[in-house]
Amino acid sequence: MVEEKLTQLKDRLARVRDLEYAAYVLQWDMETMMPPGGADARADQLATLEALAHQYFVDEEIGRLLDDLRPYEAQLDPASDEASIIRVTRREYQKKVRVPVALVEEITRTASLAHHAWVKAREEDHFAHFQPLLQRTVDLAIQWAECFDGQGNPYNPLLDRFEPGMTYDQIDAIFSGLKPELVRLVAAIVEHQDAVDDRILHLPWETEAQLAFGREVVAQMGYDFERGRLDLSAHPFTIHFGRGDVRITTRVDESISSCLMSIIHEGGHALYEQNTSPTLYRTLLDQGASYSAHESQSRFYENILGRSRPFWRHFYPRLQAALPALRDVDIETFYRALNRSRPSLIRVEADEVTYGLHIILRFELENDLINGRVQVADLPHEWNARMEQYLGLTPPNDRLGVLQDIHWAHGYIGYFPDYLLGTIFSVQLWERLKQDNPQAEAQVERGEFGPINAWMREQVQQHGMKFTLPELAQRITGGPLKWEPYMSYLRAKYGEIYGLS
Amino acid sequence: MRDQLDQLKALLARGIDLTYAAFLLSWDQETKMPPGGVQARADQIATLQSLAHEFFTADAVGALLDELAPYADSLPHDSHEASLIRVTRRDYEKRRRVPAALVGELARASALGKKAWAEAKAGDDFAHFQPHLERIVALRIQWAECFAPFADRYDPLLDHFEPGLDTPQIAAVFEALKPELVTLVAAIAERRAAVDDRVLHVTLPDEAQIAFCRQVTEWLGYDYQRGRLDLSAHPFTTRFSMDDVRITTRILPGNPIKALMSAIHEAGHALHAQHIDRALYRTGLDVGLMMAISESQSRFYENVLGRSRAFWRFLFPRFQRAFAPHFDAADAETLYRAVNRVEPGLTRVEADEVTYGLHIMLRFELEHDLINERVRVADLPREWNDRMEAYLGVRPTTDREGVLQDIHWSQGAFGYFPDYLLGSILAAQLWARMQEEIPEVEAQIGRGEFGPILHWLSEKVMRHGRKFTLPELAQRATGGPLSSGPYVAYLRGRYGEIYGV
Repeated sequence: MVEEKLTQLKDRLARVRDLEYAAYVLQWDMETMMPPGGADARADQLATLEALAHQYFVDEEIGRLLDDLRPYEAQLDPASDEASIIRVTRREYQKKVRVPVALVEEITRTASLAHHAWVKAREEDHFAHFQPLLQRTVDLAIQWAECFDGQGNPYNPLLDRFEPGMTYDQIDAIFSGLKPELVRLVAAIVEHQDAVDDRILHLPWETEAQLAFGREVVAQMGYDFERGRLDLSAHPFTIHFGRGDVRITTRVDESISSCLMSIIHEGGHALYEQNTSPTLYRTLLDQGASYSAHESQSRFYENILGRSRPFWRHFYPRLQAALPALRDVDIETFYRALNRSRPSLIRVEADEVTYGLHIILRFELENDLINGRVQVADLPHEWNARMEQYLGLTPPNDRLGVLQDIHWAHGYIGYFPDYLLGTIFSVQLWERLKQDNPQAEAQVERGEFGPINAWMREQVQQHGMKFTLPELAQRITGGPLKWEPYMSYLRAKYGEIYGLS
Repeated sequence: MRDQLDQLKALLARGIDLTYAAFLLSWDQETKMPPGGVQARADQIATLQSLAHEFFTADAVGALLDELAPYADSLPHDSHEASLIRVTRRDYEKRRRVPAALVGELARASALGKKAWAEAKAGDDFAHFQPHLERIVALRIQWAECFAPFADRYDPLLDHFEPGLDTPQIAAVFEALKPELVTLVAAIAERRAAVDDRVLHVTLPDEAQIAFCRQVTEWLGYDYQRGRLDLSAHPFTTRFSMDDVRITTRILPGNPIKALMSAIHEAGHALHAQHIDRALYRTGLDVGLMMAISESQSRFYENVLGRSRAFWRFLFPRFQRAFAPHFDAADAETLYRAVNRVEPGLTRVEADEVTYGLHIMLRFELEHDLINERVRVADLPREWNDRMEAYLGVRPTTDREGVLQDIHWSQGAFGYFPDYLLGSILAAQLWARMQEEIPEVEAQIGRGEFGPILHWLSEKVMRHGRKFTLPELAQRATGGPLSSGPYVAYLRGRYGEIYGV
């Protein structure tokens, strides 16, 4: 009887997930393959798939099944597949049904308009084009937050969309600890700016050769091309339609490392999806725990491994073979170039050290916007003032300042902190991994990623969306999310590179 | 009535979006998907199709059609609105006739049948496939019985792929054609040495072939802003609106024109899809089965135009340049004769224009007898081989080259084969009419001016989508019923001249 209800629930979720996966295929195609003429019809198709997926998910029958399954869930181990499916589905269901359909539609409509306004404002470097729709976006986000018992900071429900189980206060405690330390480290590096030169990264290299080398690296890292593929797109991304088909994209720019590091980054996301337990297929849990959990994987592979000396001791001779212009460049010069740190205006181009400050700035501004302490009209000024304070730079225009990111235009307020939380968590994972496997760095140097991947799969990836980030941190490290290991990692790595005392 | 029509269109639009999404997922599967994606992709497509079916067969659709019936009667037969209501009613009634359980059983049996067929073909083991085919035939008979009463149990099958045609009509056309073809094939066989196709015994570089396919299809009018060309195991055309219509081709080593002729064939289908009247988008008149009509366009471009002397006069210097130095010593006439070589063979998809029809008649006769239980599945191999010998003078020595060569029956697709030949027949009728209306058409082809042809076909055939049945369309476009006369005259003209018979 109970089993039957669970089966009914799973059947309904399977239909929802199939529609979502189908929408992802349409999106992947749109970014990589679609001819220009296809855009309008594709928008119709995506709107239909998304509307149906939403409609089938918020169906009252799912609510009833979740209620009926409560006693069954209570007898199960909370970490079991079944209990987790019921618990997480309920959590997401309650989030979705609380928001009136009319508000969801209004948010979607506004996002579409705001996107166009943002593109125009950015092109013309004219914040005023974007301001009214950003104002509307903020107002709608506040209305959205009000659907969730207005206790505490209204920013919390917005954060919870992307990072279940984390509140403003928790995140603020971490970021407040980190901020002065980062500002100090950035300032120290600026004083030693000349210690690193990255001119050797600016060499001509054919796209096909870059992709071929990227494929070799990411395959050795453990990404399974039998269950994935690599293509080019304007912005790199990872997308999956079940663990058997997890695709990554990259892009090529003037730096020879950009394409490769994007591939490694997306490869980290992709390993997460490829290694999710097959028992979670076609449930909501068949995806990463959260945005920051996902980012912990991509940044682990990109930064902690992919920008480390052991990694390049293995791959550098191969890179030199693939790009003969590097034959006379020694590995140390390459390693230092790859880790050059310098304050810059654009988040997506920022290095490991300065990156966090870009995020903290956005986190603070979002919180102030939602709580009415900063007005939309004042954003450019607030943005620039903080850039000066944290990174010592003032954007010469809004295109290089407050207009640089697409997130707010899409209504993604509360998303930015996840990038940094993921990075912080990746270091905690690395510390723990090295305790469990003291050979890890030596293995990387030999190009053996199997043991590291196995640990990551066991600890993080197989669980899919079963646990929240705080739950994962507790299970793996025995404590909460902490910024101190991250700071130690940065100080050690960059102190050595830049010769800081 | 406008209200009801809008409601109807809204319901259909959902079903069409799901159908287009399913097409995109299939395209992806054939061209891009990594092997690991197979299982999940089957789930996703099944979900999309079953939801589309729910929308198309909803009671609300029937109720709206009833309300709209008087309105449709008040409108001209060929208006968009009347056609929409008429064709939707026809589709709706057909879909409602077959119980969902039977549809599901057929889908399952076909999935298993397809697998067993592939194994049987690989191992040349008809007995392995036989029980599956028996089951599929039995289910297809049940399916046909849902449409009783009928004069011939094969009628509903024909009507499924090309509405408006029944068994006596097709039998009459084929009966008139058969002796003509047998005579022509025999006459050509006696003069086999008249055509030498050794010029085609080369292997060309893949990239150059693909580039040339793109170039030629673009000359013919295929719009790459609204389409793309990829490789797949079997060439096909698919579409996700009239503004995203994709074709594929395949490269056959040792055959330098296979990829080109396949691309031209598919471009014919694609031009059809790209030129459907925009007003029909998302109504169901833009997408659905009209196999013979669509095939008339692909065969027109591939054969009537693509194998004509005028076309090769235009194409040859470009072909020569694209593949230099392979054809430096050849000339246009040699190529023209080589691409029109006639040779009775065992395999339908490799057959030339003259023998092709006999491959189809054999299948038409056999499947007609199978569905009417006048031939048993167990006797198929012998029946097949006997007829091959009678019609084409060749006898398969294995079933792999005989009854197991085509995938269609394994998927339950009975009633499909005749449409290939009906397409060729209609193409010849269109050509005869086009020559009357555009007397200089051959000269235009020789100059590479394909615009007037496309315009003519688009006016007469393409823009109408599924508005008219094939008999209606033949009447409107050619002024008479479907008839094999022009096809016979066309074949006699071209091949009589080439072979001197």
